[in-house]
This record gives sequence, structure tokens and C-alpha cells, in this order.
Amino acid sequence: MADEVVPEADERIASIISQWAPHGRTGLLPCLQEVQAVTGWLSPEVCRQVAEGLKVPLADVYGVVTFYSLLYEHPVGQTVIRVCDDVPCYLKGSQDVLRALEEHLGIRAGETSADGRVTLEVHPCLGRCERAPFVMVNDEEFGPVTPDEVASLLPDT
Amino acid sequence: MNEQALLHRVGRVDPLSLADYEATGGFEALRLALMWRPERVIEMVKASGLVGRGGAAFPTGVKWEAAARQPVSPKYVVCNADESEPGTFKDRVLMEGDPFALVEAMAICGYAIGAEKGYIYVRGEYPRAYRYLSEAVAQAREAGYLGSRILGSDFSFDIEIRRGAGAYVCGEETALFESIEGKRGTPRQKPPFPTEAGLFGKPTVINNVETFANIPWIVRRGPDWFRSMGPASAPGPKLFCVSGAVRRPGVYEAPMNVTLRQLIEDFAGGLPDGRRVQAVLVGGAAGAFVGPEALDTEMNNESLRQVGATLGSGAVVVVDDRTDMWDVLLRIARFFAHESCGKCYPCQLGTQRQWEILSQARERGLSSGDRERLADLWSTMADASICGLGQTAGSAIQSGLRYVNGRA
Repeated sequence: MADEVVPEADERIASIISQWAPHGRTGLLPCLQEVQAVTGWLSPEVCRQVAEGLKVPLADVYGVVTFYSLLYEHPVGQTVIRVCDDVPCYLKGSQDVLRALEEHLGIRAGETSADGRVTLEVHPCLGRCERAPFVMVNDEEFGPVTPDEVASLLPDT
Repeated sequence: MNEQALLHRVGRVDPLSLADYEATGGFEALRLALMWRPERVIEMVKASGLVGRGGAAFPTGVKWEAAARQPVSPKYVVCNADESEPGTFKDRVLMEGDPFALVEAMAICGYAIGAEKGYIYVRGEYPRAYRYLSEAVAQAREAGYLGSRILGSDFSFDIEIRRGAGAYVCGEETALFESIEGKRGTPRQKPPFPTEAGLFGKPTVINNVETFANIPWIVRRGPDWFRSMGPASAPGPKLFCVSGAVRRPGVYEAPMNVTLRQLIEDFAGGLPDGRRVQAVLVGGAAGAFVGPEALDTEMNNESLRQVGATLGSGAVVVVDDRTDMWDVLLRIARFFAHESCGKCYPCQLGTQRQWEILSQARERGLSSGDRERLADLWSTMADASICGLGQTAGSAIQSGLRYVNGRA
């Protein structure tokens, strides 16, 4: 979240960029991934820093940021919930799980909660079809998930 | 049932224990290979008849030989671990359950083709696989299985791991190269093929995780052992991902003369009580639907072609008779419209139009005009898209609409 970028985070960003700088363009994706792990999303200011550090045109940095669905050019919650809604999960009831999450959070898929903490996404096949219906909460894995247990998937706040 | 090879260690050893890996035959193949000439390794892989397990089924040994013959250096070994075909999860199971095997196989490949650097491109949605592979690479380096002058030989090789960031098209090999190079992950025109001009424009062997997992076995046991499994046209073990309306979804290893019915009924425990097979999606979203009449088909390309399907990645998604096929087909159409990279028009426009036509047709039925337009889209996408995404984007829809009509 933007308001959590404190001086310490600035230093971490600078250190990530200087670590990838010698790789130039081939370091772009991992550099953006590591920076986003600190900042939560890739603001125009952060993209500018990465572009300068790696000597890649800013337009090309944006080209990459906008191409990949796991890179965000807008703020998202500290907690990102990804509900798999592809065919194997659909066949096991992913729609009910999604509806339960939407009700519980009071937001629709693709939205972030009013307090900015939680983002809910529908994701293409997450590759855990043997655990369908499957949900990822940041890097944590849950499946099979039933609609009445969705509240327990969220981190304590 | 045959002895398990690919899943031999999965769930039986500590995946992060190098000692466990070594105690179960690990790195024996690399030791053997390093005593041979590189050409002998390639000959063994060719003689085994191993073909790529990512979906394209290209002969692996031929690929290695083509890269080895290029008088250019450096060369690269790339592992395509960007598994994102809907219904496919075997590569994740291998990476999470037996990560050292991938490290060993890539080192063998590097030795065979004369490469000193390998990349593993792991799907961004697989954080555990990424952690385990990173740990395995670090341990292997520490123990002298990676790095300079491996096991006292003249051969040096190291592996770098990259994470994808959520793009199905990056499973296409040239799009994957673009992604590693720091660009948008869009596919390149072929030729040139990767063995001639791949990663950073250099000769590159790129293989799928499961393809690599076969290599240590072929080196240790030999091509005859490999050919003793399955039909002559499709030898060796294969992983099948069975999901959807079955009791025990999971990854199962079998030779490729196993039938679809055996996978669904014997391995995956059949359908829940009272349900019957309506259709089965074979090969993932890029594959095709077959009906209950095709259940006794053997799971290899020669047999599957006769029922209008291909093996693809080995995904088997079972749709039962209570499911509305429209829901299934619209999901697949939405998937392709979402994942098209937009580089070539046939796919960019075709996948969008396919989704639109189907969305409307669901409400008011499929008109003869819809059918004509879809047929036109399918042939245009298949003939004129530059990569497999667009070329196969109509396949599941085309085959699946049969079942929609059957119900209507």
C-alpha cells in the first residue's frame, strides 16, 4: 500500500534495483516482482526508479507491468484472494465459494474492500485441480474449500 | 500396474533432502552421463523414443541433437515450468515432490548439448514449487552437482530460476524466452526454432518438466527399459491429471495404452453415485471433448486422433451429466479471450468474437449464422495464428458444442 512506503521500504527498493541493475533488461521481471513484494503495487514513481536503475525505457517497463496479471499498476489489498474458477474448479462448486466470499467481504470479484485491505480476484486455472474448488490467499493454499468456511481463510485483522 | 518411475519419490521422500534423493538413485544418471561422450547421451534419448510431454510431442533426442550441432556458444537449457493449461497440474506435483530430479536432468541436458547455463521458468502461481526448486538448486550447488567442474569433470553448469507473473501464453516457448529477456511475453514467429535461435538468440533446448523427469531414468535404465512401457508408437511412462467429476482427482502415472475409462474408473475412483459421464475434456482447454462412446480409447495421440482429440498435456477433465455444458464452454471461451496476448489479429479478435457469439447464443440459441461465423473463426484462428494459443482456441469449443446440441 502506498501509505506504507516508509523510508525503510525506500531503502529496500533501492537495494533491490541496484542488485538487478547489472542484469539490465533481463532483470526487469524479477526486479519488478521483488519490488512489488515490498510495495504491494507498482506506482508510477516506482516504475520510474526501476526504469532508471535498469536502463530500460519507462514505456517498456509499463509494457511489462501491464502485460502480466500478477503485476499491479494500481493499489491492491495487502491480502489478495484468488479464486480459481476454471472448468475443474467450476465442476466442484467454485461459484458457490466465490459468492460466499463476495458476501463475506461485501465486494465483488475484481474489487478491493473499502478499507483497502483485501482484494478479491477470479483467476484462470491455478493448477490445483485435485484440490478443487481452490483458493489462494496471497501465497497460502486452500482446497477443497466449502462456502461456509470462507471466513476462516482470511488472516486475522 | 507398472512400477512407478516419474512419481517414484513423490510423497515418499523428503523433497528437500539431498540425502533422500541420493539414497533413491539420485545423481547416478549424471555420474554415468559424465563418463560418456555427450553424443552417447543424445543417442540414448533418441533411441528411447521420448517425446515432449508439454503437449507438442516433439522427439526430445532430435531436439537435443539439433541444438548440440549448432556451432555457436553460449547455448542454453530451459525448463518450461510455466504449467498453466487448465486441468493440468502434474509438473507442479513433480516440482514439489521431486525437485532434485529436474536439477539432475537439466545438468545432463547441458552436458549433452554443450550448455553451461540453465533457466527454470516457474509459474508465478506456484510459490511452493519456486521455493523448493530454489532450495534444491542451492543444495546441489553446495554438493558440487552444479557449478564449475561438476564431479571433477570438465563440465560446468548452473541454473537460474525465474518466476512467471500470470500469463498463460508464456507457456509458449518463444513467449517464455521473451519473458526471461525482460519483455512482454508474446510469441515469436517460427522459424527460426529455439534449437537454432532461442533464449537471447542462442541455440536453446527447452523441455517441459515432465519431459526432463524422464531423462535420469533413460540414462540409468536405458532405452529398452523405456520402450518396454506402453505402445510402440508412444513409449515410456506418462502422467495423467484427472479432475472434475471423479471421486479421487489427482496425478496418475500409466503407460500410454491405458484407456480413458481406466483412468477415470480405476485410478480416479469413478464418478460420484448416480452420475454419468457427459463428456471428457482431454488435453486441457487447448484440447478437445470426447463423449462416453470414446471411453475405451487408449491415451496416446494415434488412438486419440481417431476420436478427434489429442493427448496434449495429459489433462482429463470429467464433466458429468448434471452439468450445463454452456457453463463449461463459456469458461473456456472466456479463458482464451482473457489470455490471448494480442500480438496477432486472428487470435486477438477471434478469441473475443468466439466468446461474444457463445455468450449471446446461450441466451437465444445457436443460429445457423452463428455456426457459420464460428466455423470461419475456427479455421482462421487455426490457420493464421502465430502460436498454439490461437491455433487451438476453438478446438474445445467446437468439439464441446456437440453436447450442448444433444441436450437442447
